[in-house]
Amino acid sequence: MKKYWKFAATIVVIVLSIGTYQVNSAKSAKQYPEFVIKTLSGDANEIKPLVLEGAYTDTTAMNYVNTNLKIASDGSTFTNRSFLNQVIGQPPTMIKELQEEYRTFMRGKTSQVSSFFEDNQILAYADIDFNMGSLRLRDFKFDISVLSKVDGHTESFTVEVPDSGELEDVYVEDIQMIEGELNLITQNIRENNDDFFDEKHIYTIDMANQKIINHEAIIKVPHGQDDKSFDVQLIRTSPKKANEHLIIVKTERKVIKDAESIREEVINQEILSYNLATKKKERITVPDLRLDENQLSFFDGSTIYFMTLDGVGQKLVVTPYSLADNQIESAFNLQLFGEKDIVYGQMTTVKDGKLYVASSQMTPKIKADVIVADARSGETLFKGQLALEGSPKEKANFELYINEMYVN
Amino acid sequence: MKKYIKLLNFEFNRIAKLFVVLLGITFVTQIIGVIVVSKNYLNMANEQIYDERINKVQFLETYGQMSFLQVVRSLWFVGPIALCLAGVALYIFLIWYRDWVGKNTFIYRLLMLPTTRLNIFYAKITTIMIMTIGLVSFQLIFLPIEILVMNSMVPNEFRADLSVVEIVTSILELSIIIPGSVVELILFYGAGLLVVSILFTGILMERSFRWKGIFAGLIYSALAVVILISPLLLQEFVLNGYFYPSELLVLEIVMGLIVLGATIWMSGFLLRKKITV
Repeated sequence: MKKYWKFAATIVVIVLSIGTYQVNSAKSAKQYPEFVIKTLSGDANEIKPLVLEGAYTDTTAMNYVNTNLKIASDGSTFTNRSFLNQVIGQPPTMIKELQEEYRTFMRGKTSQVSSFFEDNQILAYADIDFNMGSLRLRDFKFDISVLSKVDGHTESFTVEVPDSGELEDVYVEDIQMIEGELNLITQNIRENNDDFFDEKHIYTIDMANQKIINHEAIIKVPHGQDDKSFDVQLIRTSPKKANEHLIIVKTERKVIKDAESIREEVINQEILSYNLATKKKERITVPDLRLDENQLSFFDGSTIYFMTLDGVGQKLVVTPYSLADNQIESAFNLQLFGEKDIVYGQMTTVKDGKLYVASSQMTPKIKADVIVADARSGETLFKGQLALEGSPKEKANFELYINEMYVN
Repeated sequence: MKKYIKLLNFEFNRIAKLFVVLLGITFVTQIIGVIVVSKNYLNMANEQIYDERINKVQFLETYGQMSFLQVVRSLWFVGPIALCLAGVALYIFLIWYRDWVGKNTFIYRLLMLPTTRLNIFYAKITTIMIMTIGLVSFQLIFLPIEILVMNSMVPNEFRADLSVVEIVTSILELSIIIPGSVVELILFYGAGLLVVSILFTGILMERSFRWKGIFAGLIYSALAVVILISPLLLQEFVLNGYFYPSELLVLEIVMGLIVLGATIWMSGFLLRKKITV
């Protein structure tokens, strides 16, 4: 046995040393703090359906490793940073749920929420497919799949994008299924005699014969000029609901170049509503409304909630606009902490007539709001803040970023 | 089995000297590194506090506390690890070729042993794996000792204490060498085992067919790599992301096992039928 001692000793060292490390590693993984949504006023039942998702970083030890977490009314859960979880990745919650429910249909589909449309009967998907040509993208095609939830039948087909040669880039921004017609709303970059244009384009596809039956540019603006810049945005909607209207905000800015800096000043802002069924455009006028770049506004199918932050970020100004009556309802303000160092602003969503607001950043010095209000009247139903459960460690320094908010 | 253990012990004793030398160099260099890096920090602190008349709090605000990560990021720490890596890489070839060198070629005796010749292959590959994991294990033992040395030099208020686990997980390269979970440990070192076995097969091809064998070995290795990554290639270029990431992982593991099996079979065949002394 004596001649085996070197070998045996090495094996013992390996087992003990690696074993101890594995045990310590497993133990230290559990030391995450608990985040809660602390009630300041109002009814805590209002936040029951609310889930916030984000990333947590402990910066005390200058160790910048993110851990994903979910915060709900009953506390926080951290996603184990295990190898397997990293392989699987972190698709947005809606995609994750769809992957669990429709595993076959979701194969080979992107994780972009905007590429999906879901209602009680169907789940539709559209994405753009192209070939890499020399110096530019070519042969744009729509890759479309529609799953019928009733009989489980999937229809998949591709359609060539009309005038593909003139397009520099196409990006699917929204999908709506209206009366058996699939409407794809895209952001196109078009070239015309060396001039470039950004346009919001709509392609209507008849599902019965799988052909594009109509397509038109809803709005078209020149791409990046010297003294002017244009910005066209779709107002956010819920991907789980059909909307007959698209709400588009077009902002025109003057670029002012000083010796020291380049500033932009809004000179004109237009709000358009486009009816997908009748293909008619209408202008919406809201006096004294200047939407900023935060994209907080939300459209729930019947009412547009125009939202902006006031200059210092202490107030969220909400202006509901009823599309059916073409009428502005009375605007209201929601009071926020308005922290000075906040960079990532607020997140908003509307569901069932309730407006949910949450700050996307929290540190020991920066407080984060969580607010639920009646979307029409502005009455605050719940006001709270994100907080650490228990007494926080003395030197603890952390950063918390919320990047997704959803209401079940 | 007994024959295998005997062969393994024999192979291990042959590398024991190299193993100890590598460990010694690593330990000594890293300890010097700890002392140098700590001294540098302390000298800077002294200079700032006594010569520039900054108080302690201000100093800590501008320069921060010293943590062991500063040592880990220095050449004193990384250098010996790189040396060990190079040592193991070199020994993958040496473990075979040393048997062919000299007058009484040793491989002749090994091949004449009354046991299956694949045992030679198994013993050699296990030796390489034990040497690698052994170096890593000793590094894990050195770390707390080195931390202790730093703690004895740098006063409490000037240092941020980190545990071994925190240090390893903060440095990507270390967390690959020393994975934090058993699954990763098996996957990473399994992949390493596969690479070594492919290299061994290449070496055996060269030993069997000499010059022609080198080309055969290169073609064999390229083929093994292509088969191994074929699920990834299919996923990217043919199937347009058909598989979910977790399924792809399972496929890759299956492919790895297939390639490992084929490699061992090929090595056995070469050892039995084609090897020349």
